[in-house]
Amino acid sequence: MTRARKSLVLAREPAPTPVAKDSRFRDQHSSQQALPLDAPQAVLRPATMAVSRRLWFCIHLPHLPLEACGPGSDPRVVIEEQQGVHRVLLADQKARAAGILPGQSVNAALALLPTLKLEQRSRPSEQQTLEHLAAWLERFTSVVSIAGPDVLLLEVAGSLRLYGGLLSLRQQIAVGLEQQGFAAALAIAPTPLAATWLARGGRRACIRAPENLTSALRTLPLYCLGWPDAVCEALTGMGVVSVGDCLRLPREGFARRFGPERLIELDRALGRLPDPRVSWRAPETFCADFEMTEEQSDRELLFMICRELLYELERFLRQRQLGTQCVQFSFFHLRNSATQLLLGCAQAERHADHWFDLLRIRFERLTLSEPVIAVQLRGGHAQALQTETRQLGFHRHGGEPHLRHSMAQLAERLAARIGRHSVQGVATVAEHRPQYAWRARGLLGDAPMGPLAVNKYDSQRPLWMLSEPAVLPAERGYPLHHGRLTLLEGPERLETGWWDEDGIARDYYKAVNPQGMRLWVFQNRNRRAPCWFLHGFFG
Amino acid sequence: MRRDESSLDELLENPRLWRGRSHANATVGLASGYAKLDRHLPGGGWPQRALTEILVEHYGIGELRLLMPALARLSAEDSCVDYRQHREPGWIAWVAPPLQPYPPALQHWGINLSRILIVRPREASEVLWSAEQALSSGTCAAVLLWPDRLDDQASRRLQLAAEKGGSWAIAFRPLVARHEPSAAALRIALRSDTNGTHLDILKSRGGRPTVLHKLF
Repeated sequence: MTRARKSLVLAREPAPTPVAKDSRFRDQHSSQQALPLDAPQAVLRPATMAVSRRLWFCIHLPHLPLEACGPGSDPRVVIEEQQGVHRVLLADQKARAAGILPGQSVNAALALLPTLKLEQRSRPSEQQTLEHLAAWLERFTSVVSIAGPDVLLLEVAGSLRLYGGLLSLRQQIAVGLEQQGFAAALAIAPTPLAATWLARGGRRACIRAPENLTSALRTLPLYCLGWPDAVCEALTGMGVVSVGDCLRLPREGFARRFGPERLIELDRALGRLPDPRVSWRAPETFCADFEMTEEQSDRELLFMICRELLYELERFLRQRQLGTQCVQFSFFHLRNSATQLLLGCAQAERHADHWFDLLRIRFERLTLSEPVIAVQLRGGHAQALQTETRQLGFHRHGGEPHLRHSMAQLAERLAARIGRHSVQGVATVAEHRPQYAWRARGLLGDAPMGPLAVNKYDSQRPLWMLSEPAVLPAERGYPLHHGRLTLLEGPERLETGWWDEDGIARDYYKAVNPQGMRLWVFQNRNRRAPCWFLHGFFG
Repeated sequence: MRRDESSLDELLENPRLWRGRSHANATVGLASGYAKLDRHLPGGGWPQRALTEILVEHYGIGELRLLMPALARLSAEDSCVDYRQHREPGWIAWVAPPLQPYPPALQHWGINLSRILIVRPREASEVLWSAEQALSSGTCAAVLLWPDRLDDQASRRLQLAAEKGGSWAIAFRPLVARHEPSAAALRIALRSDTNGTHLDILKSRGGRPTVLHKLF
């Protein structure tokens, strides 16, 4: 209540002090409903910037429905069902030349041009195209925003220096869009809405100073604002046909008749109100399909398709400066469930050639039960690349540097062919039971090697261990292994592990047989009839 | 007379002529840790960038012990000769070991356990493939392999891979393979009895065959 009264007072003040202006600004933030009342009339006061210096680059794609259908040379139109009738939404140049206009019924269009190709409008593919484009535009700025079904907004104030100024940046974006086959209307303005409206109006405007905004927007017709038809009609009925006309209306009355949102939009366009935009983020994981028109069993062809998908993955990851540790190929069949092929590597990787090498190893032994109708590549969780220091070419000592791949690369090559669990490192564990005194260690992945336990033993341990102790035959109490064993050292008593299921109570001996093999043998202490076991060779 | 000299030169230039001495002392060997053995090996130690074959009747008669001092030096943090330039100790790959190499014992012998790579291929054909990959990758200082069989061609491939990657290949084979041809630079047959382990140098590039009794 106090706040409302205060703003009323402020509104009556002819020239607010800077402090008062600040408090007004806070009020605008906290309650948008109070806005139309306390904001000053545009004609009375020059526009003040409520936002910091920014520059918005708007890309309006009026032909997006047509462009989203992919390339095509025939005269074609995009059609959409409107109130039960299929009507032309957009016609390409050839179709327009034949006299086909948007809004015509399909029958009328076909009568004009029988060879006309009809494309059903697909909003999902339009959205997809827009996202594709947004991903491409992320190279120019970190703030790319999808602001409607056919509008992309870029905040470029921070990118000007890098791209050599506004004109050069504009040129690069325009050329890029044209190369990708998009006809776009570009406009640059200090506020996102102004840029959008200017682009919709087809003005090739480039406004840098906020002071020039009002004069640039004044002549824009109402349709550029994207307001509901009812509002536009009502305004036109009043003789208000341009933005300038709107600005000339009394603010209070305007807000009451057409809703406060319209006034807020005008204020935002003129930079009197902040207009925060959500910046679009490209998805973090990659997924791409390659669908074929007919089933294929030509492995060479499938291999090439996989390669193309991998290059697409590389482009995706390169744009984001990321890599991934695993990728999955799915080969879809018409009848059977899809064949999966999972590739993994030790470090985040993005180079297609690297993945291609791994794929080559696996692909030659992949069995495809049926011909393939589609191939899908799904990238794993994308993560930051680990940069590595490369050797300079003139370090010629100790082998050829270009051959020096990292261990990780070797491990993943081996794992790709013979399986993840067949490639491992080792580590020791602080434990007295011989079979638990070590563990296998994965070499793929970033798991750091913990500190190694250093066990001090009373006697030597064998270099070769049997995975399970083997029972030795005995002859009159002497163990046999290719002849009768002679005990050299021992016993070393190991009696531990009683706290879990796997406790041991053994007497270990070092023994030698007539062939000179040195063995590690033991006897269980608890048994009545002592049986000899072989546990390792000293090698 | 002159004619004779030129024909001798011609003969010596013939690429089909192999002269045993041509490789002698060309490279410095890796000290084996057994002075008696080093004296009989050309270069004063194990031949590097080459294939060594060790023929044994049974596993466990001392074939690992023979290699331990050299492997410990290769895997140590800063002492390996070839890798000093890169300050990166070499890995030691074990391809298809017949039993489990026991890490506490390896540690006892001074092997750097963080540099051990154990590869267990499921098929015999993959043993040679894995060993070749490890040898030519340039990351492994030594590759120990236990192939089911190793014909002349396969041994040549291993020899080439070892040269390419600057690595030391050690193939363990049964004693019956001593009569098969091999491209290995060094072939050693190992025998043991209750007195100790005896070593039979069957072939040594740049050296000559000898028998060493009771090495350890």
